[in-house]
Amino acid sequence: MDIYLGIDVGSVTTKLAALDREANLVASLYIRTQGKPVLMVQAGLKDMAQRLPPDSRIAGVGTTGSARYLAGVITGADVVKNEITAHAVAALHYVPQVQTVMEIGGQDSKIIILREGVAVDFAMNTVCAAGTGSFLDQQASRLGIKIEDFGPTALKSHTPVRIAGRCTVFAESDMVHKQQMGHGLEDILYGLCEAMVRNYINNIGMGKEILPPVVFQGGVAFNQGIVRAFEKELGTKLIIPPHHELMGAIGAALLAQEEMEDAHKATKFKGLGVSESLYETTSFDCKACANICEIATIKADGQVLARWGGRCDMWERAAEKKREGAPT
Amino acid sequence: MGQVHVPLTTAFRALGIPVVPPPPTSKRTLSLGAKHSPESICLPFKLTLGNLIECLEQGADTLIMPTGANLCRFGYYARVQEQILTDLGFKFQMVRTDLFGSKILGVARLIKQLAGDAPLLQVIAAIRFGLAKLALLDELEREVQRVRARELEKGAATAAFKEAISAVEAAPDPVSLKEAFRTYSERLRAIPGDAASAPLLVGIMGEFYVVLEPFSNMEVEIELGKLGVEVRRSLFVSHWTKFSLFLNAFGITEKERLHRAARPYLSRDVGGDGWESVGEKVLHAAHYDGLVHLAPFTCMPEIIAQNIMPAVNTDIPVLTIVCDEQMGRAGLATRLEAFVDLLRRRRSRGRALAPSGASHS
Repeated sequence: MDIYLGIDVGSVTTKLAALDREANLVASLYIRTQGKPVLMVQAGLKDMAQRLPPDSRIAGVGTTGSARYLAGVITGADVVKNEITAHAVAALHYVPQVQTVMEIGGQDSKIIILREGVAVDFAMNTVCAAGTGSFLDQQASRLGIKIEDFGPTALKSHTPVRIAGRCTVFAESDMVHKQQMGHGLEDILYGLCEAMVRNYINNIGMGKEILPPVVFQGGVAFNQGIVRAFEKELGTKLIIPPHHELMGAIGAALLAQEEMEDAHKATKFKGLGVSESLYETTSFDCKACANICEIATIKADGQVLARWGGRCDMWERAAEKKREGAPT
Repeated sequence: MGQVHVPLTTAFRALGIPVVPPPPTSKRTLSLGAKHSPESICLPFKLTLGNLIECLEQGADTLIMPTGANLCRFGYYARVQEQILTDLGFKFQMVRTDLFGSKILGVARLIKQLAGDAPLLQVIAAIRFGLAKLALLDELEREVQRVRARELEKGAATAAFKEAISAVEAAPDPVSLKEAFRTYSERLRAIPGDAASAPLLVGIMGEFYVVLEPFSNMEVEIELGKLGVEVRRSLFVSHWTKFSLFLNAFGITEKERLHRAARPYLSRDVGGDGWESVGEKVLHAAHYDGLVHLAPFTCMPEIIAQNIMPAVNTDIPVLTIVCDEQMGRAGLATRLEAFVDLLRRRRSRGRALAPSGASHS
């Protein structure tokens, strides 16, 4: 069976999705990145090898997420795509008429506006991470509840309090203040949901025409409190796709399939055995000019795979030359 | 800022005034500038302050900063920077010059003042030679923007342009200047490219400084070029000098064209380049695939423009990029990639829907 593998390495979680030719989800994985993207991709592939049916053949691989280049280099991906495109492609696959995609992940949030099946506009949070998954995580642990219980608790609220949601620091002090005043936990939690939604609509959604069907995806779509606050604010039901937390990975897999079927190429995938190689990432300051760029080096079993991080492409080219010259 | 040092050093040198060429704007410039600036001031202030400090370190004793009323915070850069530099213990003379009010005569007067008793004709010749260099550099840069989107070996056009800047700057007289220009325009044209490609066209607009200083916008034009996008912009230093210093007298300006276009949405100047930014969206919707809007963080005029643009009823995507010292390269790359994907898919759909035989290349 031909399998297309999508790998989404985000700031907080790493997602893998394996699709068959008809784009059915065959196997998937959702793990914490823990700041170790290389190890997590290796661990993910190893785990994936157990989950895939025995007759599987990987026919194409796509990577996305903030570590997409890193993941692309170590796995030998056929497609390396940004998260916006990956999410739009996945949303279109599940809801072909979709006109708005809202996605809230660990450290970023985005909105994609689509018309007649084509993305026409998008926005991402720019200067502030208020209103993303990490903040909810942090507040849940400060209040001593599990993130899984956040949504159900918030839904019990009858008189939500108003929380200042513009900035995480102010939101937190406002929440502490409301606690000290004696407001109930559920009202504070739902108040926070409403504040986050207001912040999202005013910042990310600024000037955008949010038309239904609206698809809500990303890890934060697990949170029932946020979902209800959005539905109230927008006056429309949200569609939450069955694998909403995997949408980036699913999009990457779909893009890989598109690329491979268009080009009739053989995949560059290095195999699930990538997990056996020893990867090493180091960095150094380039002193070639006054910019002093931080250059990262990725090595596999002692050989330079790639270098990047400079304002110019001096080191990227050097790494390419080295790779081409190296015996294979 | 951009190549603006070339005409100035040329004019001063021609008159025998020693010039300290500012070291290229770098991370060090930014760190120095940010360290000694008010935290929430805009990026151009921090970078120009860093430039001034680096010039003083190299022995400059006279600094020239433009100033003026009716601009934006830029109007008081010179005063505040003079104060900061004095507090830091530097000894220097600050020449504040109101280029916007006094136009070309002001420049001539300023240079004459610095040149001591140079005859007026010599001053005019020096300025003309400097401006000629600027105009040719801008012409080369327009060619670079075209080649970058098509070149097969990425980076070739940028490398040639870097050499061209030094060659033009070094040219001692008009004859060798023409020679340098010819050499480099031929070299640019000879760069092998994909002739069949019809690259996306993206307009770059927004606040003057961050549009023109590549360091401040993380070389957004080069990044777009790598993605196979041809960049256009209406802001070039040479246009600005032409319009702001000369033609204003006759009332024919590119700016007025932009203002007229913006008027249904914004009826007055809001400082800086905010009015023009709105006009760009109205004017260029028809012939560009998309627009990249560059704004320094905390820039009031561009914030106004950014908030008005969604109301401008033209069908063209705009990507606003906020520039400051906290900007991350990875975040910018993701946004640019996604923007280019979006434009590409839009265009291919447009092509598919267009009646057969119609092409818009």
